[in-house]
Amino acid sequence: MDELKKIIVEFAETNMKTKFYFKDIEKAVRKVNSDVKMRDVKKACTALINEGTLIYFSTGSSTMYGLKGRGMTEDPEP
Amino acid sequence: MPFEPKEPQKEIKYEETRIYTDAELNSYTDEELNNFKIKHAIPDLEELENGPWPSFVADAKQEALHRRKLAGNRMLIERDVVEDMLGQLQDSFDDGETHWKHGGIVGVFGYGGGIIGRYSDQPEKYPSIAHFHTIRVNQPASKFYNTDFLRTICDLWEYRGSGLMNLHGSTGDLVLLGTTTEQLEPIFFELTHVLGQDIGGSGSNLRTPSCCIGKARCEFACYDTQDLCYELTKYYQDELHRPAFPYKFKIKFDGCPNGCVASIARSDMSFIGTWRDNIRIDQKAVKAYLSGEVEPNGSAHQGRDWGKFDIQKEVLGLCPTKCMYLEGNELKIDNQECTRCMHCINVMPMALKPGIDNGVSILLGAKAPILAGAQMATLIVPFMKAEPPYDSIKDFIEKVWEFWIEEGKNRERLGELMQRIGLPKFLATIGLRPVPQMVKNPRENPYILWQEKDVPGGWSRDIDAYRSRHKS
Repeated sequence: MDELKKIIVEFAETNMKTKFYFKDIEKAVRKVNSDVKMRDVKKACTALINEGTLIYFSTGSSTMYGLKGRGMTEDPEP
Repeated sequence: MPFEPKEPQKEIKYEETRIYTDAELNSYTDEELNNFKIKHAIPDLEELENGPWPSFVADAKQEALHRRKLAGNRMLIERDVVEDMLGQLQDSFDDGETHWKHGGIVGVFGYGGGIIGRYSDQPEKYPSIAHFHTIRVNQPASKFYNTDFLRTICDLWEYRGSGLMNLHGSTGDLVLLGTTTEQLEPIFFELTHVLGQDIGGSGSNLRTPSCCIGKARCEFACYDTQDLCYELTKYYQDELHRPAFPYKFKIKFDGCPNGCVASIARSDMSFIGTWRDNIRIDQKAVKAYLSGEVEPNGSAHQGRDWGKFDIQKEVLGLCPTKCMYLEGNELKIDNQECTRCMHCINVMPMALKPGIDNGVSILLGAKAPILAGAQMATLIVPFMKAEPPYDSIKDFIEKVWEFWIEEGKNRERLGELMQRIGLPKFLATIGLRPVPQMVKNPRENPYILWQEKDVPGGWSRDIDAYRSRHKS
């Protein structure tokens, strides 16, 4: 799990984009570890969300993941 | 049989949970309402009040007046939130474009759905709706709720939100419209800990499953829609709250082919109750319909002069497969030909009932998008039993998800994926053999592409030998 979390955070820190679809994360993890199961990537993402490392970004119709502190990660001030 | 809940039920008593007094809830007169003007000019919206139907503008004005009358410390977001919402909507009418920005990072801890961030793009002009987030409440579908429950939700939303709600959306959720970010966690706490309710699906999640009222009130229901819907909602909590799908995924349940939920048009996975034995016929009741002793259509057309019931014209002649006929006063049905259109059963419900070997048909791939064209679902599983613990249904759902998650592109619905790769490949991937019932339209346009290995003798034939057998 820790290994997966590390790969995900590295991807989120270094990618040009600041928001990612789950599939983008899965692909990035598969590049490093081709045998990984989707369910394990999801568990690692959930753990990172619960730790506050990753955040969800939702348009209402689809959801993306982002690294907290990179790009727009706070609710805008009214 | 009296209702026996399967789990302990928490009784919500409004007298204990209420926030507002009767005086606060009934705070204005009809005259005050008639003379009430909100602080913005909204001529186009007021025009909407002139039609024959109830208008949301009239409802919103009532709420605006109600909030004007409440004491300042009796609501936790701005008093004039409804007035600003109406003012901005008038601007949208004037400008021909929306002034809402939606989407963002708002949510409650650990959840990837259920809250949709919404912001005004004119916060200086309409400061009360600078933040105007939506909350979807996943109240279990089609259950019976008393007014204690509903009034508690209304009080909570008046206190911590705008008071505006939308109860007729296609999500099936109770949709609470308009609150600020800081109110989200307290509202979530109240919903889950006091009212025992979860929030619904949004984003790339399994959306709140929804169903018809099923066996609770309808004699046509071929399976327990409420039980299956509730079971899958609980079983797939992770999919509901932690988004990892390529896009949204909707599951809806119709108890019979009447399709009151319209799952065939509105859900990626549609369950429609059906039967595989024969329609039950009560010949005594058939005679009662023929003699006029019982009114057709459950008396739905009572009070109007439709003339005497004509079974030939109103039932037999309208049967899409012409599988019914009368022998004397005996009604006969060639059940092999029945397409489950439900018309005869709807017209003569006392005489005809669905069979007793019941289950579901499963259809995949519908969507009703705003921008592109709507797409109806395709029949994939003609019949499957639907009995607790629903293991075969869960296995099927997971097979479909596994394929869609693997093959689907970002923001590609299941129906679009099925179109892209073609049905023969889709069927092969989820391990189903094509069968004659899988037709795009009943009795025409079979889409099955036969493989050479499936056809005895394959494709090749000796043309000379054929011609020698068919000389002229």
